[in-house]
Amino acid sequence: MAVDVGAILVQGALVSALYALVALGFTMIFGVGGVLNLAHGALVMAGAYVFAILSRDLFGIPALVPPFVALPIAIAITAVLSYLLYVGFVQFIEENPVVTFMGTVIVAVWFQDLIITVLDSTEFSISFVQGTVTLPGFGTEIVMIEVVGFLVSWLLIGLVWVYVTKTDGGRAIRATAMSERGAQLTGVNIAAVERRTWLIAGALAGTGGIFLGSVNQVSPTMWLGPLTLGFIIVVVGGIGSIKGSIVAAYLIGFLEIGTRQVLGDDFVGVLSLVVLVIVLLVMPQGLFGREFVHE
Amino acid sequence: MSERFTESGGPLATIKGALLAIVATLGTVGSAITDAIWAVLRPVLAPLDRALQPVAAAWNRTLGQYLGEVGGLQFVVLLAGIGLILLGPFWGDPRALAVGCIWAIFAMAWDIQSGYTGYISFGHSALSGIAGYTVGMLGFNLEAVNQFVYLGENAPVVRIALPLAILAALVLGLAIALISLRLRGPYFSLVTLVTVLLFMRLIRAFSEYTNGENGIAGFRFGLAPFHLGDPVVRYYWMAIPMLIVAAILVVISRSNVGLILTGIRENEAAVSAAGISPTKFKIASFVISSIPMGLAGAMLAYFQGSVSQQSHVMVDNSIEMIAMAVIGGMASILGPMFGAISLVYVEETVIHAMLSPGLRGLALWSLILLIFLVARDGVFRRIWHGLGAVRGDEQ
Repeated sequence: MAVDVGAILVQGALVSALYALVALGFTMIFGVGGVLNLAHGALVMAGAYVFAILSRDLFGIPALVPPFVALPIAIAITAVLSYLLYVGFVQFIEENPVVTFMGTVIVAVWFQDLIITVLDSTEFSISFVQGTVTLPGFGTEIVMIEVVGFLVSWLLIGLVWVYVTKTDGGRAIRATAMSERGAQLTGVNIAAVERRTWLIAGALAGTGGIFLGSVNQVSPTMWLGPLTLGFIIVVVGGIGSIKGSIVAAYLIGFLEIGTRQVLGDDFVGVLSLVVLVIVLLVMPQGLFGREFVHE
Repeated sequence: MSERFTESGGPLATIKGALLAIVATLGTVGSAITDAIWAVLRPVLAPLDRALQPVAAAWNRTLGQYLGEVGGLQFVVLLAGIGLILLGPFWGDPRALAVGCIWAIFAMAWDIQSGYTGYISFGHSALSGIAGYTVGMLGFNLEAVNQFVYLGENAPVVRIALPLAILAALVLGLAIALISLRLRGPYFSLVTLVTVLLFMRLIRAFSEYTNGENGIAGFRFGLAPFHLGDPVVRYYWMAIPMLIVAAILVVISRSNVGLILTGIRENEAAVSAAGISPTKFKIASFVISSIPMGLAGAMLAYFQGSVSQQSHVMVDNSIEMIAMAVIGGMASILGPMFGAISLVYVEETVIHAMLSPGLRGLALWSLILLIFLVARDGVFRRIWHGLGAVRGDEQ
C-alpha cells in the first residue's frame, strides 16, 4: 500500500489541534487541583450532544438555532456543566485520589447511560460545514469542517495562552499549578482558581467534542476515545505542562493518522497505547516533565 | 468571563449552595441514619451478642486463627449470610444468584490486589476477558488448534480450557504487574486501564480469530453441568467454587501476606524499611488475584455460553467490579463478596423487572453513585463493625 505522506501530514496537523484542545483542559485541571478528571471525556461528549440538540432536528426536538449560534451556546453550556461537576461533586472528594478517580469515572458511565436512555444510542455526525478543499502543493483533499475545527482550536489555544500568561486571573492559575502554598501566600484564592480552571477546561472539552463529533461520529460511547487520547497526550507531554500537551498532541495525532494510513483502522490507537507504556517506563515525567517544581 | 461564575451572587451561586448542601447532607445523613439504627438496635442486640459469645470464642480458638476473630453476633450473622448463599435457590432466582457468585469472585479477586495494596487496578476486566476469550477462541479456532494438538471435536473441553484460561489470566496479570511496578497512584491505575483498551483494540484487530465485535457464542458443550437444564444444579456449580475462593482469599488476607499487602497500602516505605520487598508482594498480589479472575472469567464464559467484549472486557466491567467492592467495603474480601451478590441480585431482579432496558444501566449507576456518597467505606463494613461494637467495648 502506498503511503501518502502528504495526507498524513495534513490530516495529522488538522486533527491534532482537536486532540490538543481536549488534552489542554485535562492537564490544566490536573496541574491546578491534582485531580485526574475521568469525566473529561463525558464533557467532550456533552459538548457534542448539546450542540446536536440545539442545531439539529434530532430526537424529536426541532433545531432551535443555526449552527454558528449553537456553537458558542453549546461551549458555554459545557463549561457550566464542568463547573457544576466540580462544585457539586468533585470538590468534596478531591482530597482522596482513589475516590476522585472512581467518582469521576462513575459519573462518565452514568452520563453514557443517561444519553442512551433519554436520547438513543445511534451514531450520527454533526458536521455543520460541508464541502472539501484541496491544498495546493499536497494534492490531498481535506474536509472543510476539519479546517474550521483546526482554526477554532488554535484560536482557543491562543486565547488560553494569552489568558494564562498576560492576565492576573490566568497567572493565578499557573501560580497555583506551580505551588499551591506559594500561590496562597501571595493572595491567590485557590478555590476560585480551581473553579475557574474547571470552567475553562469544560469550554475546551465542549469545543473539542463539537468538532470531534463533526469530524467523526457522535455516540454515547464517544467519551472513552477522547479521554484515552487526552490521557496519553498528557502523560507523554508531561502532566501539568501546557506546552508538553500541545507537542504531544501533535506527536500522537501524526502517529494515529499514520497508523490508519499504513496499518488500517483496526490498529488505530494500539501504537499510541504502546508509546504511552514506553514513555511511562522510560521517562515517567513525560517529554516536558513538570515545568515547575511541585510543592 | 469566568469572574461572573466564580464570584458570589446570582442564580449560579444559589445552585451551587443547593448542591453543596445536598452532597454534604448525603454524607451526614448516611452516618446519622447508621448511628440512629445502631442506637436503637444496640440495647436489643447486646444481650444476644453476649449469649452467643461462647460459640464465637470456640471459633476464635480454632479456625479463627486463620479466618479472623469474630464477636458473637458477627459470627451468627456471617453464618446466616453464608447460609443464605448456600440455600440461594430456595429463596431467590438461581440464575441471578449464579451471576452474582461469578461477580463476587471478580470483586474479591480485585479486592485482594487493589483493595489491600491500595494500587487501584482498572485492568481486571482484561484478566477475566483473556480467560473468557481463551475458552471461546479454543472453540472458535478448533480446526486450526486440532491440527497442532488434537483436542477432539467438541472442545473447549473444560479440563483443557479451564487450566489454559487460568494460565492466560496469570500470564497477563504478571505482565500488567511487571509493566506497572514502578508506577503508583493514578499512573498505575491508568496503565491498567490502558491494558483493557489495548486488549479491546487487539480483539478488533484480530477479528478473524476473535470474531471481532460479535464475540464468540454457542459453546455450551464440554462441561456437562453447565448445560444441564436444571438452574439449581448450575447455581451450585457457581456458588461452591465461589465460597472456596472466598475462604482461600480470607485466609490469605488474614495471614502475614495480607498484613504486608495492607502495609504497602498504608506505608510502603515502612514495609521496605522492615526488610520486606514491596515489589515481591505487589507481584504476589497480582498472582493471587489473577488466578480467581481467570477461573471466574472462564466460568462466566461457560455460564453464558458466549464471550464478547461487552460481557467480559469492556472498561465498564472493571468499573462495576470496583463499584461492587467499594459498596461492600474495600479490603475485607467478604464485604466485596456480599456487595457483589447483593448488587447483581438487585440489578438482575428488581431493576430488571421494574425498568425498561434503557433505564436499567442508569438506575444501576445512580444507585452506585448514591451508595458511594452515603457510605463510602462500604455498606457491609458498616454493618460488620456495627455488629462488632454492640457490646460497647470496642469501636
